[in-house]
Amino acid sequence: MFSSTREGLALALPAAIFALLLFILPVGILLSEAFQSDDGWTLKGYIDFFSKPLNQKVFLRTLKLGVLVAGTAAIIGYAAAFSITNLSPKARGRVFGLVILPLMISPVARTYAWIVILGRTGIVNDTIVGLGLSDTPIRLLFTETAVFLGLLQLFMPLMIISLLSAMENIPRDVIPAARVLGANWFQVFFKVILPLTKEGLVVGGTLVFTGALTAYITPAILGGSKVLMLETLLYQRVNVANDFVSASVIAMILIVMSFTANLLLKRIATARK
Amino acid sequence: MKNLISLSAMCCALATSAFAQEKTLTISTYSFAQDAYKAALYDPFEAICDCNLVIETGNSVERMSKIEANAADPVIDMAVISSQDALALSRKDLLSPLDLAQLSNHSKLYPAAQDPIGGNMAVGYTFYASSIVYRTDLVEINSWADLLDDKLAGNVSLPNITGTQGPLTLMMLNKAAGNEGTDFTSVISDIGTHADDIVTFYSRSSELAQLMNQEEVIAAPVGRFAWSRFKSSPLPFAWAEPKEGQAGGMNVMIMTKGNGNEELAHMFMNYWLSTEVQTRVAEALIDSPANSEVVVSDEVADNLTYGADLINSLSILSPAGIIDNREAWVEQWNTEVIR
Repeated sequence: MFSSTREGLALALPAAIFALLLFILPVGILLSEAFQSDDGWTLKGYIDFFSKPLNQKVFLRTLKLGVLVAGTAAIIGYAAAFSITNLSPKARGRVFGLVILPLMISPVARTYAWIVILGRTGIVNDTIVGLGLSDTPIRLLFTETAVFLGLLQLFMPLMIISLLSAMENIPRDVIPAARVLGANWFQVFFKVILPLTKEGLVVGGTLVFTGALTAYITPAILGGSKVLMLETLLYQRVNVANDFVSASVIAMILIVMSFTANLLLKRIATARK
Repeated sequence: MKNLISLSAMCCALATSAFAQEKTLTISTYSFAQDAYKAALYDPFEAICDCNLVIETGNSVERMSKIEANAADPVIDMAVISSQDALALSRKDLLSPLDLAQLSNHSKLYPAAQDPIGGNMAVGYTFYASSIVYRTDLVEINSWADLLDDKLAGNVSLPNITGTQGPLTLMMLNKAAGNEGTDFTSVISDIGTHADDIVTFYSRSSELAQLMNQEEVIAAPVGRFAWSRFKSSPLPFAWAEPKEGQAGGMNVMIMTKGNGNEELAHMFMNYWLSTEVQTRVAEALIDSPANSEVVVSDEVADNLTYGADLINSLSILSPAGIIDNREAWVEQWNTEVIR
């Protein structure tokens, strides 16, 4: 495309300098604090972090919710993407618009909606009490369930979009052919659809998992201080305790978790070849 | 070319002259009610001081970090902050003692506000009481111990220990259990035992107001400064007067060490502490007065921590007690309450 490599590099240079100076460098400096002490380079920050039971619990809760949200989004996302793919082009466009509509609404507004829905006087509790399933409203807010629902709703569109894009690339006759040859729907999914959409799953899974790990607003509003996650703990360390070393440790853990999830998903996708 | 040089010289002269005339005082303050402060305090002061006020806002941690990071060449001249945070800065030798000779309104302050952290390193400008807001149609509150009673299980919220209200609540629960002092070990354990009965540990009074107005919570400790949020609600909220009394806290003014703007900083502090300004600030329902000469109507007083009887009756946790014990409290809290 370019007459020389130099031209290509010159065009990429402003963006590269921008990223280097305003992202990579400051983040690198911040993260390097997690490996420093008065005596030089150390892993003490990490050892201290993981030696505290609360931090262990918060780490495991964050991991668990990230996996659950990504897994559930994948299951619901496959069903949704499959049905959308089979719609007429006009209907597909409309439904796709509905899928991406939540992305245009502030996460704060979307999360506050859950307070109304899950509150003691919300629609869920009104239904539960109305049906006689419980005499009194049950506690839904400030629980892991609330955080899970909020995160799932927040990131589900990303999974559907990724899977939809992958599914549209599946040759139209492949699934009917598999059915004609005697495959049941279970076999169709695992032998045909999943292998052909694994790239979409990797992208969607990484986006949803990473998003669930790093979202702050939703766990802060729906979980509060009783359902601490790594991102809310990070905020506390910086804004309450002014403890940038612990915050850097948490940031590094989140980054490592995100990269690991991406590598793992890619590995799983490759192994299925 | 000659004209250009002349023009440049004139511009430089004008700019220099402007800088010489415009004194600037940089203030670090909480971010709430800044429009009201501007009308009641900043604009009137600028009108009489022939100076510019630069207002920097943020939460306590951010603002303290900025003061500490610029200790060698202060970018903040004076700040308003909680008394315990002021003591923390003082212990790091970041503050300059106040010259009481330049604070003619100092003697008008309630005794507790005159030298709250010792060494004249700070002066109180506002008090706040802390008690329990509750739903009168659902529950009756007579004691701080009621917060952990079975009748409130699943309907009560407590302030997080990391905020200003958290330690005050621990102090009053400790008092209700018959203890004094800053050893809150047994109280924190008690809260840990009841952790599942507590809806959430809130961080901001606005968050609590929302929870109570949505009927998620029917009783919680909160500062009097937030009372107007509840008073205007259609739900029947009341301000409890527990038998152990009300807790209290104070925000103070401090001056950074070596800022080079001490005279103007003292002038501003003295203005803020004056009866005229403290009355104006109180009538705008921004802050409760620390100046004992302030007189406000009953209607205004009802929204504030006002009057010698109330202020002298408050249980105030010593700033040193908070700083010396906070780390241990948070550690135990994280282990036994948040889990």
